[in-house]
Amino acid sequence: MNDPQTSEPIAPPAALEALAADAVERARRAGADAAEAVVQSSRAFTVCASNAQIESLKQSATRGLGLRVIVGGAQGFVSSTDLSPAALDDLARRAVALARFSTPDPANAMPGPLEAGTPAALDLALYDSAVLALPADDKIAMAIELERVALAFDPRITRVDRTRVTSRDGTTALANSLGLTRVSSGTAISASIVALADDRDGKQQTGYYGITRRWLRELPAMEEIAREAARRAVERIGARTVPSARVPVVMHPDVAASWISEMHDAWSGESVIKKESWLTDRLGQAIASPLVTLVDDGRLPGGVGSGPWDGEGVATRRNVLIDRGTCAMFLYDIYHARRAGTRSTGSAVRGYSSVPGIGYHNLYIEPGAESPDAILKKVDRGFYMDDQGSFGFNSVTGDYSFQAAGFWIEGGAKTYPVDGITVASNSLDMLKNVAAVGNDLKWDGDVVSPTLLIGEMTVSGGG
Amino acid sequence: MEAGVALDPAAHGEPMTTTALRATPDLATLLSRELVAELLTLARSKGAELAEVYGEYTVHTSFSLEEDRLKTTAYSVAQGVGVRAITGEQTGYAYADGFAPDDLREAARVAGRIASGAAGNGKPIAFRVVQAPPPFTLERPAPIALDEQASVALIQRANHTARAHDGRIHEVTVSLADASKSFIVANSDGVWADDRQYLSRLTVTALALDGDQRQQGFAAGGGSVDAGYFDAVRTPEAIAADAAGSAITLLGAREPEAGAYPVVVSPGWGGVMVHECFGHSMEGDTIRKHTSIRASQLGQQVAAKGVTIVDSGIVPYSRGSFRVDDEGTQARRTVLVDDGILVGYMWDLLNARLTGNEPSGNGRRNSFRDFPLCRMTNTYIEAGPLAPAALIADVTRGLYCKSLGGGSVNPADGNFSFQVTEAWQIENGALTVPVRNATLTGNGNDAMLKIDAVAGDLEIDGTTGSCGKDGQWKPVGVGQPTVRFREIIVGGTAT
Repeated sequence: MNDPQTSEPIAPPAALEALAADAVERARRAGADAAEAVVQSSRAFTVCASNAQIESLKQSATRGLGLRVIVGGAQGFVSSTDLSPAALDDLARRAVALARFSTPDPANAMPGPLEAGTPAALDLALYDSAVLALPADDKIAMAIELERVALAFDPRITRVDRTRVTSRDGTTALANSLGLTRVSSGTAISASIVALADDRDGKQQTGYYGITRRWLRELPAMEEIAREAARRAVERIGARTVPSARVPVVMHPDVAASWISEMHDAWSGESVIKKESWLTDRLGQAIASPLVTLVDDGRLPGGVGSGPWDGEGVATRRNVLIDRGTCAMFLYDIYHARRAGTRSTGSAVRGYSSVPGIGYHNLYIEPGAESPDAILKKVDRGFYMDDQGSFGFNSVTGDYSFQAAGFWIEGGAKTYPVDGITVASNSLDMLKNVAAVGNDLKWDGDVVSPTLLIGEMTVSGGG
Repeated sequence: MEAGVALDPAAHGEPMTTTALRATPDLATLLSRELVAELLTLARSKGAELAEVYGEYTVHTSFSLEEDRLKTTAYSVAQGVGVRAITGEQTGYAYADGFAPDDLREAARVAGRIASGAAGNGKPIAFRVVQAPPPFTLERPAPIALDEQASVALIQRANHTARAHDGRIHEVTVSLADASKSFIVANSDGVWADDRQYLSRLTVTALALDGDQRQQGFAAGGGSVDAGYFDAVRTPEAIAADAAGSAITLLGAREPEAGAYPVVVSPGWGGVMVHECFGHSMEGDTIRKHTSIRASQLGQQVAAKGVTIVDSGIVPYSRGSFRVDDEGTQARRTVLVDDGILVGYMWDLLNARLTGNEPSGNGRRNSFRDFPLCRMTNTYIEAGPLAPAALIADVTRGLYCKSLGGGSVNPADGNFSFQVTEAWQIENGALTVPVRNATLTGNGNDAMLKIDAVAGDLEIDGTTGSCGKDGQWKPVGVGQPTVRFREIIVGGTAT
């Protein structure tokens, strides 16, 4: 197998910065009062393996530019992957023309260097050259290894649905007409696998596990990832439904992380201004158990969601959303901060092809003192939830109702595997009912949580 | 593979398009036949069995109105070329943003490295233009015919109607998003196809407030439609009234009762259940790899008698329809289940080749940045014999699902779930009180066997659906008549 990774270096950061500045200048000449350009250049290599060989190899290299303009207080946005000078002039003209159809709004703004602040001197450790240097053949071998280990784990693992290893690197540059320029680069490597275990009546059980890291040396061995996926699939064999009941629920870290990922929009200043958030009017109030501290940290060294600045060039920071149970703040980009009479919290997120919106960087619940086993032992009769469906959250009300799988708990221990149920409550009730927070926080991605014990939820089953 | 075509395009001028109007440049000027042939040869230079080139130029525009303000108008171009090489079960893929010949040659070489032998025969490729007739014709495609002013007028009409609907409507968000796409796909077997595709979607989200109560309603219209659709078929006023009406209804709704009981699902978008519960397990990749339980069920009963399930890429004006798929295969109607019996699967080119089947027009990709996967188009349950009211009349205690939100399935284990945004309790054969936040769950392996009544009011909703698979999103249509499941697990907080 030849090494398919191109030997050409990714575009130098300074060139992207110059491209962004050039696009801003063209927009000004086209009549924009203010302009901001974001250029992203990224590269990815993905290998999937099946039957001990490559199933697919994909190499991608993308470079695109987004241009936001303000004309007479109104905003227009354009983006393209055609970055030739003629195309940039055409884009600039279109942006200015489109802005005239938007409503002028004094809150439309871009940050100058002073307002954007100075990114912390802290080394965010976003870029690992070892990720780039890793030969394609090694990544192929890693994907094949994932499958081999999972198949060897247990005779009931007869198939692997998908193994995937991806490496990526990218550089983003931003410039605006107030003189702000930013550029930063990062890398990521991820490995994931779906193992399938044979169950009765031709049914299969699935076990998924995947991890993304910025640094190659922080990626666990493929064997560890594959064994975890295989273990999850085998554990589920024989799963059955249970009768409906109101019981305590222990949330596996993955399930707890999905919940906070669904909830995060409630802290968005935009949702709060529009009264679309179930936390509207609750700033400063006790909304959760004192055990809960929820943080969005854009400056976590090596964090998958870390970056020195946000989608508008504002320096990122550590934002504490719930401080020991109290709703401590909301998140803002420049526009919504102007609307609310406050300052940006460095929370704008975007790709080159979209306008900034409010999002998160690294979102997590601070770990507590208890081990997952100690938490389990607290539950006499309840449900341990370690998998869920994709839809079931109402972002306006915080209502939570998900298809779930896991284990029935009796006398502080997992007894038998369960699926074919749903678990429901409301997020405010759940936050207040957090009865234990585990000490098992692991940085598997950009939204993470330790094990949580929720005092009571409604399990709906078929029994 | 495409019946009745073996024409040399050079002798027949430009390939046909569905309309003479052009929002996007003529791709033939950016990607010549000579260059495509060269790229295909390069991609096979290590011995790949099949090479394919896909070039695309897509313009997206969006207008969005929030808080009575037109927040942003946006215009985006995505353009480039992807090259795929296939050898056995293996796929190599690379792409370039843009049409610079040197970038495309590099992409072709990279994709071709999936194979590790020598080049096959070097005989030149004689392209045959796929002569598929359009399943429907657009006279004035909405993305072309609606200029900026007309677009803004549509969303302002929707905003006005939603706000005037009820004093408790506090916030309204309206968006009009459209896409015009031109593409060319050609492969080393000589297939050459191109097309233009147009999509428009007008969505309304309405927030209702009443004391501590806060509820949101959503509605949409659109598809692959003419501009006149928004005047004659589904007006902004109708979409707005649906969204606002739903939000107001939900203010007075109660929590669902947890448990397993009969569920009646409304026509149209309710078909998202057959899409998730059944359709995904019928896609050719999962059949070939035997990761789907359906792989061994050809000829067996997989749904209740009286249930016929179809995937059709030719439903008029649906966002799931097209003339040719993203591999150049003509769109068609495929019967998956006939009166309860599994009779056919959906196939893309790769999985059809590996299993000795005919591609069925289900090879679809998100963009030139992705290789095609086997995907659904418009998937629906055919009409049955009953009157819709009859399905409710003999239910003592159950749930009528009027509007579903999203749904998902794990195709390997079959576990599915659906969010029901607006439902009604059925008591003694009548709809009594509205119900919110219900979640339906179960296993797709037997869900279609639990259907015990099918009405005659088939509707196919081709306005708003998008299906995600392996990170690729494609517009789809879903449909069904009113259908009753004799028992589904309903999640909720009331016991």
